[in-house]
Amino acid sequence: MYSPYAALFRDKYWGGVPISLFAVGAFAFFAAFALYLVVCGPLAPRRATKFFGVVSFSPLLASALMFTISAIELGQFCKTCVGIYAASVLLTIGGIGVLVEGNRKGPVVLSADKPEDRDVHVATGKPEVAIPQGALWFVPIWLVALGIFAITPALLYVSALPNYSNYISDCGKLQKPGVDNPVLLHVKPAGATQPATLFVDPLCPTCKAFHKRLEVEKVFDKLDMTLVLFPLDSECNWMLDKPFHPGSCLVSKAILCADRRAMDVLEWAYDNQDKLLEGAKAAAGLVNVRAMLREKWSHLDACIDAKETKVRLDKMMHYIVDNKLPVSTPQLFLGDTRLCDEDSDIGLAFTLRKLAPNLRQP
Amino acid sequence: MKYAGIMGIIAGCAFLGGSAFKVHAEVRASAERLKTGVVLAEKPAVAIANHAEASYCTPKFKEVLARVIHACGLDGGDSRRGCQPADVKTLASINDDDFNNLFTPLKDRGGVVMFDDASEKLDDDGKRMIEDLWLDRKGARYFFILARASKTGGADFNRSLSHKRANSAFFHIGDKFKEPDLDKQVGLLWLGNEFAQLGQDYCKWNVSRKNKPCTAEAINRSAFVSWVDCQL
Repeated sequence: MYSPYAALFRDKYWGGVPISLFAVGAFAFFAAFALYLVVCGPLAPRRATKFFGVVSFSPLLASALMFTISAIELGQFCKTCVGIYAASVLLTIGGIGVLVEGNRKGPVVLSADKPEDRDVHVATGKPEVAIPQGALWFVPIWLVALGIFAITPALLYVSALPNYSNYISDCGKLQKPGVDNPVLLHVKPAGATQPATLFVDPLCPTCKAFHKRLEVEKVFDKLDMTLVLFPLDSECNWMLDKPFHPGSCLVSKAILCADRRAMDVLEWAYDNQDKLLEGAKAAAGLVNVRAMLREKWSHLDACIDAKETKVRLDKMMHYIVDNKLPVSTPQLFLGDTRLCDEDSDIGLAFTLRKLAPNLRQP
Repeated sequence: MKYAGIMGIIAGCAFLGGSAFKVHAEVRASAERLKTGVVLAEKPAVAIANHAEASYCTPKFKEVLARVIHACGLDGGDSRRGCQPADVKTLASINDDDFNNLFTPLKDRGGVVMFDDASEKLDDDGKRMIEDLWLDRKGARYFFILARASKTGGADFNRSLSHKRANSAFFHIGDKFKEPDLDKQVGLLWLGNEFAQLGQDYCKWNVSRKNKPCTAEAINRSAFVSWVDCQL
């Protein structure tokens, strides 16, 4: 699961600083403060209980924000996140309980430091316990402490991070750049300046996720892209003895035929990837894929069957062979430098900034 | 209450210290794995894109193929284009039948382009066959043109004719498709009438003149063309 919201300073540090680290520190503070309140018992200062009650809402607010992002932007929830949401709810419930309990004890009568002033409770015969108000200057101290607790794990995390700069450009070079190769697809949005070569399989889920990541990072439209189709389907790919993504050759041909609208067909394939794969794996197999293509892109029908299209796809894969690339997708080259597989996920923002600083400028 | 405060501070320090220590240790450990290459060692090996390797690529076939490639200038180390019959005898080191049998697995992959007697001119069917076969490359690395001449006429004449037939096929590909690096893809072999003549059985192969009589003489006025799906 990839979320650009899961970490801060992703441009500066590989993977960024996980937001959950701030939660770790904050929960450590709340645990310690809760222990303090428990040990104090009924004599816990009013300011302490109020402080705890009020600030206990802060993790819930942060969780609510992250929950909303997960639901609306990402459409899925990570296990750690759900754990933090649950802990935040429990903490808030505890905070409300502390607030309610504190209010129930009525107004402060006297200072607890003066036992001689204690009154005797009429009903029980026991001396009425005076609840201390607590000094006001404790509140900013607790807030500062909460801040220190929250940022300490993150600071230590940053201090321990290795220098990734040495590794990110060490995953290979494109031996034969295809900028002028007419067989390959060239997509250059207005204003795109960064040369890039992207090898994708239209029915590969990882390619789809990577495509989304590039869009989320707002770099896709800045790439002067050479697009190379690399279907992992033995129907047209001689490097495989079985199809990993059946139907991919057919969809790749449709993308080639679309020419200037190649990216539209590719994005359509990504959007309908599950259906296309399901159709290809069903009894009717490629007939289903063909029907879906025909329904959406009927004008490409003749071109898909044309010998020239097959030849072009063959040549595309020979280009891959000439470059001695791994049989895997996706692969992105910024200029001629290959983006490491490990850097195509949480390390993407950092790596993009290092390998192609132009991409990170607004 | 004082004790409560002290306990809270101690507990807070303990919780914070514990979590911070854990975070620091995890990151340092990952840094160490990165530095020592443990991460790389754990990565599964990924195949590298390569040309097709068909089942007919036997060691003997590849041996001949490799010799042809090295001797005939396809590996880029020699500007000479093609092999002469004398070269073939030396480089193949096998008799006629064994040589021809090497190409039997290519029966369905390739085709026999036939020529008129004493002519190197391609007819329309021959051109179409060469074009169709050229476009049906798939994952092949090398395209072979193996030209022959019949026993009609003198040895020198036939050797020269065979050479011209190979060139006709080669030039047609160049003219039609205008591809760069053609020299590095196409291997030419021209055999005179003294080596590896084809029997009439080869008339049953994919020949360019399907509706014309095919004799033992006619089948040797030809050029066998095929992609070869072997890695070297």
